[in-house]
Amino acid sequence: MNRLAATAACSLLAVGAASSGQGLWIHAKASLAQALLERAWARSLDGEARVLPWPWADTWPVARLLAPEQGQDVIVLAGASGRTLAFGPAHVAGTAPPGADDNVALAGHRDTHFRFLDELKVGDELRLETASGIRHYRVEETAVQHESQTGVLEPSGHAELTLITCYPFDSLVPGGPLRYVVRAAGMAPAPLAR
Amino acid sequence: MARPGSMMLFVFPFLVALGAEAGPATELGEPMRPAEVRAGALLLEAAGGMRPAPTVSTDVEVRVTGLLARTRVVQRFRNPTAEWVEGVYVFPLPERSAVDALRMVVGERVLEGEIQTRAEAKATYQKARAEGRKATLLEQERPNIFTTSVANLGPGEEVEVAIEYQEELRYDAGVFSLRFPMVVGPRYIPGSVAVAGFGGTGWAQNTEQVPDAARVTPPVASSASERSHPATIRVELDAGFRLREIASPSHAVRVSAQAEDRYVVTLAEGPVPADSDFVLSWSPKVGEAPGAALFHEEREGESYVLLMVMPPEAQAAERARLPRETIFVVDTSGSMHGESIVQARAALGLALERLNPSDFFNVIAFANQPKRLFSESQPADPPSLARAKAWVQGLDANGGTELLPALRAALSGDAERSSVRQIVFITDGAVANEEALFAFIRANLGRSRLFTIGIGSAPNSHFMTKAAAFGRGTFSYIGSPSEVQSKMGALFAKLESPVLHDLEVSWDARGAEAWPNRLPDLYLGEPVVVAARLRSREGNVVLKGRRGDEDFVIDLSLEGGASENGVASFWARRKVAALMATLHEGAAMGDVKQAVAELGLRHHLVTRWTSLVAVDVTPTAPPDVELETRPVPTLLPKGWSLRHLFGGGDTEAAARARANPLRPSAPPPTTAAVTQPAALVTQGRLPQGATPAALLVWIGTACMAMGAAIWQLGRRP
Repeated sequence: MNRLAATAACSLLAVGAASSGQGLWIHAKASLAQALLERAWARSLDGEARVLPWPWADTWPVARLLAPEQGQDVIVLAGASGRTLAFGPAHVAGTAPPGADDNVALAGHRDTHFRFLDELKVGDELRLETASGIRHYRVEETAVQHESQTGVLEPSGHAELTLITCYPFDSLVPGGPLRYVVRAAGMAPAPLAR
Repeated sequence: MARPGSMMLFVFPFLVALGAEAGPATELGEPMRPAEVRAGALLLEAAGGMRPAPTVSTDVEVRVTGLLARTRVVQRFRNPTAEWVEGVYVFPLPERSAVDALRMVVGERVLEGEIQTRAEAKATYQKARAEGRKATLLEQERPNIFTTSVANLGPGEEVEVAIEYQEELRYDAGVFSLRFPMVVGPRYIPGSVAVAGFGGTGWAQNTEQVPDAARVTPPVASSASERSHPATIRVELDAGFRLREIASPSHAVRVSAQAEDRYVVTLAEGPVPADSDFVLSWSPKVGEAPGAALFHEEREGESYVLLMVMPPEAQAAERARLPRETIFVVDTSGSMHGESIVQARAALGLALERLNPSDFFNVIAFANQPKRLFSESQPADPPSLARAKAWVQGLDANGGTELLPALRAALSGDAERSSVRQIVFITDGAVANEEALFAFIRANLGRSRLFTIGIGSAPNSHFMTKAAAFGRGTFSYIGSPSEVQSKMGALFAKLESPVLHDLEVSWDARGAEAWPNRLPDLYLGEPVVVAARLRSREGNVVLKGRRGDEDFVIDLSLEGGASENGVASFWARRKVAALMATLHEGAAMGDVKQAVAELGLRHHLVTRWTSLVAVDVTPTAPPDVELETRPVPTLLPKGWSLRHLFGGGDTEAAARARANPLRPSAPPPTTAAVTQPAALVTQGRLPQGATPAALLVWIGTACMAMGAAIWQLGRRP
């Protein structure tokens, strides 16, 4: 057999395996991290602040997001940076803190933790658990937006949850300018006054 | 098989590019890394398949009267597909523009836009969209970036959207100029800004290869579809004095005289692709330059005036030049690649020539990190200058735009070597963490003065104008290599001439409200421009200031002047800008929002919190149509290369990417929101949410399949 062809074939196989491995690792990391985060979140609920899920972490759990109809349950991290999003959806810094009576924005990856945003329909329920209790939200609107339309991050003065991920969902190439935005309004029980 | 195995590796990026871009739109001549592919591809995917997006053509009409320009921009959206779609178009306008009219033309119906608060307007638009009516919404994303959305555009249908705005012309050193921005430059969002001192958020560096960095907004059309954005421009010029010269440094123009001081300017070669800002400048005949100009408008029982005063020429110009320390900071990031870095090098070369041996200077080049020429400022003696010139000529553009460390390097280390310290910042300003940078400049300026020079075909002049305002310096714009000499000459004449400072304007009339309420320092050739609202137009206005150690006073009567529409919205726009600036000083978001929204509603002005919306009365789209949203791609500004924009540069990650071409090169992640103080979150863009996992698996599988195929072929006798 031609040595050149053999070399080419072997390099291709090796590079292919490495690349696929890297791709699968992204998914593995996403699920693995959530397991570690569960433990850190349990400690946070016991009153500890800023529990690092692993010693070298630069983020910490701030809430737990549940979508009962979709059977989703994920831990939300602080600070929606690219590195953090690899481990879980994250709170967009600068928007109201989870649990607050204002617009709380969370961002996540469309191919891992926020895959389910695709299935959310108007009227679906979302729950956000924080150290101060559980807040219920109802989906009011889903929209595709351009990334420069940052209005959805603005404070609104009433309890709202804004979930953001990339769009389209099944695009092969990451990094597009479109976002899928889910807006949910806070439901009655929490604020007693009114 | 002729190629060695190592060559094979470089073939894959091609494969990826082809796989993702089989659509009609793109043909990029160069091999691309996977990270580059999205330029044209995304747009296609956004359409849910390989289909083109709505196209746009733009007609611009400008009417100039004295100091004011009223511009009407007509955009035609055409839907080339067989479906009902929604078009979203992001576009720039001059940063001082007051947008006050929106009109939609559907067939023969003309619908006027209504001003509403942003939330109401959005709701109105969405209701119309859901009901199948045609609607258009004009929103401000940043002071100089707007979006138009058009709902329910039928198959093959065309809708015309016209917007109008008012702006004040630039007047500098005897030359008036008008600039119409054509494209939004892709902006770089730093991921790991060292935010020491900003709210203690302590975000760690995102040096890890991050899959989801978007650096481009809006999607960039490749050069193949260039002709999809033709633009025409027509300027009616009524300067108010006889002209010595009219010229456009950016485009070939035809000037026809209508009367002694009235001209019509059009593009000489018909429509042009919208990929380079249009600039027109004119200067009065010697001796006819205005010393002062006054425009007024009466509205709802109140008077609005716009006042421009040229401070008197001085003997001061002959005064001995004070020794200066000048720090040149030059942007060498990827967005400067091409014509821009050549202009920057030329500008720097000229600047170095202008130094005197008694001056001190230093040069800082930055991309991901600042690099200093000298560890501290050196006297401008021949050996140092020779070294500096050689160093400057060797500068190349590559990497991210990390402006903050560069600013820190420039503002620190003031050894008080000379009486004047000036920082000359040369950049295209393609950054998105503007607010953090403004706050830094405010807090660390000291006695230094910051002068910004915008380079390239689409500089972020909002950023650079504001940065210069916070830095108490000025902004100049160099649009083409042929302008380098004259613009740098004008800037240096300013840097060398004494400034006018402690400027104050006082009005006789009671209840006068003038904006800006604090006047900036002025340099040679710059006018004072103030807009005011008065109960009545009576009495005088007095301008006081100091030149060096001398006082000067100018006293003007408010009677007379020309009546001109738009002075009121001009005043309101100035007030909005001043209110927005108070956010940097810690004003409460709620209060500012309310005040700005009230001004917007009252003056029919698009602001961050008010939008214009127009809705057709009759539904046209069939019921139950799911609208697809299609962003309309913006052209890449002239002279920018896709490769350098997306390819990254000398970052560690990019080096790794070169070593392994299958790893997408790693631009730092997009975390604009993370670095913002709480109240200012809406500068920047929405966070990214996607990983390259699917892509990597896809490439991996393709590689393995090919490897297996070659193996099989090789085994055959």
